[in-house]
Amino acid sequence: MLKKRIIITLTFFDGILFRTKNFRPDYRYTKNFIDLWSIDELILVDISKKKNPNRFLEIINFFKENCFVPITVGGGINTEEYADKLFRNGCEKILLGSNSIKNQTLLKRLSLKYGSQAILQSINFKKKNNEYYATSNNGKNIIQEDSLKIIKNLIKNGAGEILINNVDNDGGLLGYDIKLIKHISSNINIPLLALGGAGNWEHILELFKKTDVSGACTQNIYHFTEESIKSAKNFLKSFNINVRV
Amino acid sequence: MKLGIIDLDIANIGSLESAFNKLNIKYKICKSEKDLININKVILPGVGSFKAFMKKVKDNDLEKKIKEMNINNCSILGICLGFQILFNKSSEHGISQGLKLIEGQVNNFKEVDKNIQTPHVGWNSCKFNLPSKLFENVLDNSDFYFTHSYFASKIDKKFVISRTFYDFNFVSAVQKKNLYGVQFHPEKSQSAGLKLLKNFVDFC
Repeated sequence: MLKKRIIITLTFFDGILFRTKNFRPDYRYTKNFIDLWSIDELILVDISKKKNPNRFLEIINFFKENCFVPITVGGGINTEEYADKLFRNGCEKILLGSNSIKNQTLLKRLSLKYGSQAILQSINFKKKNNEYYATSNNGKNIIQEDSLKIIKNLIKNGAGEILINNVDNDGGLLGYDIKLIKHISSNINIPLLALGGAGNWEHILELFKKTDVSGACTQNIYHFTEESIKSAKNFLKSFNINVRV
Repeated sequence: MKLGIIDLDIANIGSLESAFNKLNIKYKICKSEKDLININKVILPGVGSFKAFMKKVKDNDLEKKIKEMNINNCSILGICLGFQILFNKSSEHGISQGLKLIEGQVNNFKEVDKNIQTPHVGWNSCKFNLPSKLFENVLDNSDFYFTHSYFASKIDKKFVISRTFYDFNFVSAVQKKNLYGVQFHPEKSQSAGLKLLKNFVDFC
């Protein structure tokens, strides 16, 4: 049976690991705290204002050499050449952001070249007048278009998995936006990953119990101790969630 | 033993390199037929589309070479798409011919069940079918990382060494004498995956 995935998302600002809150960098961590043998997958995002590909590649290399799980990388991937470089350096998947909502040429090209399974498309949502809207520009601008239509178009053009986040929940530790996630997952037929809001293990349990997402992403709670991902998985397992322990 | 990893500028060689570095196993990156001279154990990794990958294999004069190595008792391990091209043909982007080293064909999960979610991605368990050196000291039902929308079928069961359940049981690993293939990514499957790669080098 296919397992539910626990995915760690790490954001880097000028080469330093950051925690974010409502999409603003919060404070520093060190990557050495992460329990690399219990995670199922890793997402590395470069949120530096001024991108330095070589510095980011050094970070990718550190993880590539130390944890043998799939690595997705993202943040400022706007050219095929940069994507090629990342794939060649040991990344399984590329994370594309709101740029590919506007222009899907890169998405199409990468998907044809590497297969749709190599493309994780992220969409950041914001709630306005009780409706969910996709956003662009790091969650700042609302896109006035039916969000399901946007997602279906992205899937048609080659997205293999979708990562959704509610900008208002980011770093808030109050739980995932179950309503949003249910709304999306019941309308698409590719793996869906949820990010934003995991404050404790009950939140992840609630996510897996109430929705059929393939994976729970978190950037908040697992960084601190060696054993925490392991114990989170044991906790989920005790509630009959099918995770890899 | 001399280990080669075939690199056609499309597969993710970086992860395999890290895995063998971690295992302290030396390897040679092989981009063409002549790089494979003196190699007697070879890994054939692949991502992307079947058609494009087969074209790369042919353009680099590797089709004949791989078949020749197979006949000459070199051990070959196909990974993911490198596993799929071992079979006769695939339906991806229209029918394309494979290496035909093992009887079988490759189809999309959706051709069997149009409501199935693809790609099949994540950790899933391998149920062993027949004993194989490749799985030596690996526990039955161990989890490996998969990411694919196509699967191999119509394979003689005497070559099937493991199956995996996703809507139905599909073939996740094969062995035909010294020819091995796995649908999953051992290089991305932590300790079980590293063990498998070491087994290939040590015992296969």
